[in-house]
Amino acid sequence: MTFLEQIKNDFNLYAAQATEDSFSDLRKNAFATFEKLGVPTTQLEEWKYSNLRSVQQGNFTTSCVSNLDADALIKAGILNKIIANKLVFVNGCLFPELSIWLETDERIVVSSLAQARKEHPATFEAHFGKYINFSEEGLLALNTALMSDGAFVFVPEGAAMQHPLMITNITDANEHSVFQQPRNLIIIEKNASATVIENYMAVGVHASFTNVVNEIFVGENGQLEHYKVQRAAGETYHANYTQLHQLANTNINQVTLTLDGKWVRNNLHFFMNGQNCNSLLYGLYIPDGNQFVDNHSRVDHAKPNCFSDEKYKGILKDDAVAVFNGKIVVHEDAQKTNAYQRNQNILLSNTATINTKPQLEIFADDVKCTHGATIGQLDEEPMFYLRSRGISEQEARRLLLNAFADDIAEKIKIPQLVAILESEIDRKL
Amino acid sequence: MISIKNLHASIEGKSILNGINLDIKPGEVHAIMGPNGAGKSTLSSVLAGRADYTVTAGEVNFMGKDLLELSPEDRAREGMFLAFQYPVEIPGVSSTNFLKTAINEKRKYHGQEPMEATDFLKFMRSKMEEMEMDKSLTSRSLNEGFSGGEKKRNEVFQMAMLEPKFCIMDETDSGLDIDALRLVSAGVNKLRNSERSFLVITHYQRLLDYIVPDFVHVLYKGRIVKSGDASLAKELEVKGYDWIKQEVEAAV
Repeated sequence: MTFLEQIKNDFNLYAAQATEDSFSDLRKNAFATFEKLGVPTTQLEEWKYSNLRSVQQGNFTTSCVSNLDADALIKAGILNKIIANKLVFVNGCLFPELSIWLETDERIVVSSLAQARKEHPATFEAHFGKYINFSEEGLLALNTALMSDGAFVFVPEGAAMQHPLMITNITDANEHSVFQQPRNLIIIEKNASATVIENYMAVGVHASFTNVVNEIFVGENGQLEHYKVQRAAGETYHANYTQLHQLANTNINQVTLTLDGKWVRNNLHFFMNGQNCNSLLYGLYIPDGNQFVDNHSRVDHAKPNCFSDEKYKGILKDDAVAVFNGKIVVHEDAQKTNAYQRNQNILLSNTATINTKPQLEIFADDVKCTHGATIGQLDEEPMFYLRSRGISEQEARRLLLNAFADDIAEKIKIPQLVAILESEIDRKL
Repeated sequence: MISIKNLHASIEGKSILNGINLDIKPGEVHAIMGPNGAGKSTLSSVLAGRADYTVTAGEVNFMGKDLLELSPEDRAREGMFLAFQYPVEIPGVSSTNFLKTAINEKRKYHGQEPMEATDFLKFMRSKMEEMEMDKSLTSRSLNEGFSGGEKKRNEVFQMAMLEPKFCIMDETDSGLDIDALRLVSAGVNKLRNSERSFLVITHYQRLLDYIVPDFVHVLYKGRIVKSGDASLAKELEVKGYDWIKQEVEAAV
């Protein structure tokens, strides 16, 4: 079965089960849009370097059947060292045995998305699909048409989560190829705060295509720490679209760590729809072998007096290919905007490739914006300096690359996550 | 300590050193002076193992080993230390971590166990006291945001920590005001002893007022053309380099 046949097939299956399917009414329109847009191709400017052709050869299974038991999943590494609320999904469906809930504030709701639609319909309807616009994005339409399940997080006015929430998605491709459409909805209301970690893991030898959509709303004076950790190794294709919608006086710190995965496309879109917002977006990618990593970001300054700071850093090895495409859009009303954007890359081989494109679109006249990109090798002079003190070439390289990456690691406020990152950096470098 | 024989070196096909001969014994301080472009910095780079230079002839024996066969890190582990003319700023690498790594790599090379963290900190604290180093300098990233004087003092502090046998000071006085020069020199003088040798490379005599050498050599066109004691430096200060150049040209 080709990929497109598979999608059609899945949609028909959902349609046939309309009575028990939580999302059937939402699917139809999105599917029609997907049929019109199709899977993005390199003909599209925003997909120039990101080729999904090999996914389209197909033979995926849309089923969350997995023979993994809880122990195997824990061994697969679901960041056990972090004390956190945990929601674990396997091949797109909730795996309740591994879910952990530590919060005592009963007003806070965390559940699967399907459950939330039944139990909290008003909140669900008020936010679901309100921030993304699938009319021009094939993969967004596809996710909406075929969404499997995902997390629903609701932190009501004035509430503060005491522990991070970790949403772990495990791809089990031991038995068959996996095709999944996780969909998360995170609502932080006025004066509320939360920390959310998205954690992607994979086991098995077969291929997988994971097409994630996150919608995140942060109400006035809200605070969010958001981390995305991509460690799904193997034949994994991973597309992630995260839309953040923030109101006045909100602070968001977002860090994207892309360590593993055959093909990864991150789309991160901040929409600052209120004054005095702070949006921080940081990323680190360390592709090697034949890995492909694409970080696309867009920051919309729609209102005055907001601050955004973006820094993405890459260390590329072997034949890895990476893309950085960052766009800051300052709307006409958004006077006194401060926006910064940097992309810095170190290429460790002659055959690694980076395509970087920092962009500014400014429609206001009283703003401070900078952007820039660098591509280079490890500098000779610091290497020689370290070696002249008796430090081996290998150790000198490790020190310098760690220093380069530390700049991003220090944006992470969970020490255990930093420790995991450091050991991953050591492993990769 | 170190014996340099007929050393020739070039960069990008251009010959810079044209037969250097120099013997330095334990505890001796030798100064190399010379006009710009004489090859002073090339000599320090070649001895420390910078890859940009090609040694085309000659040999260097460093405490019984063929120095030119050793990697830069092995030269350091064998006891050589180069105080850089322009120490590099390395953001993100803490001075403490850097020194600990350097010391432990050297210990490993000599078959010793790594230093325990607490022993290392104790050792570092005592050296900081001895060298009158400001605490804030070691808590920061290596040389990052340091003033010219702080960088040079940090070089001397590293020297104290790594306890080398042979130190090359590459134009340590460049960019220093008189107060910084005095502090740096005082540090170096504390590290002088009957075992440790120094090669002090400088364009000006004033550094040698503070670090008084046993021998002074004048480098010109890649060769040592005159040697003497500390008084030669004073003579150069008064008469400049021209008379030496004339002497050399006349001899040709």
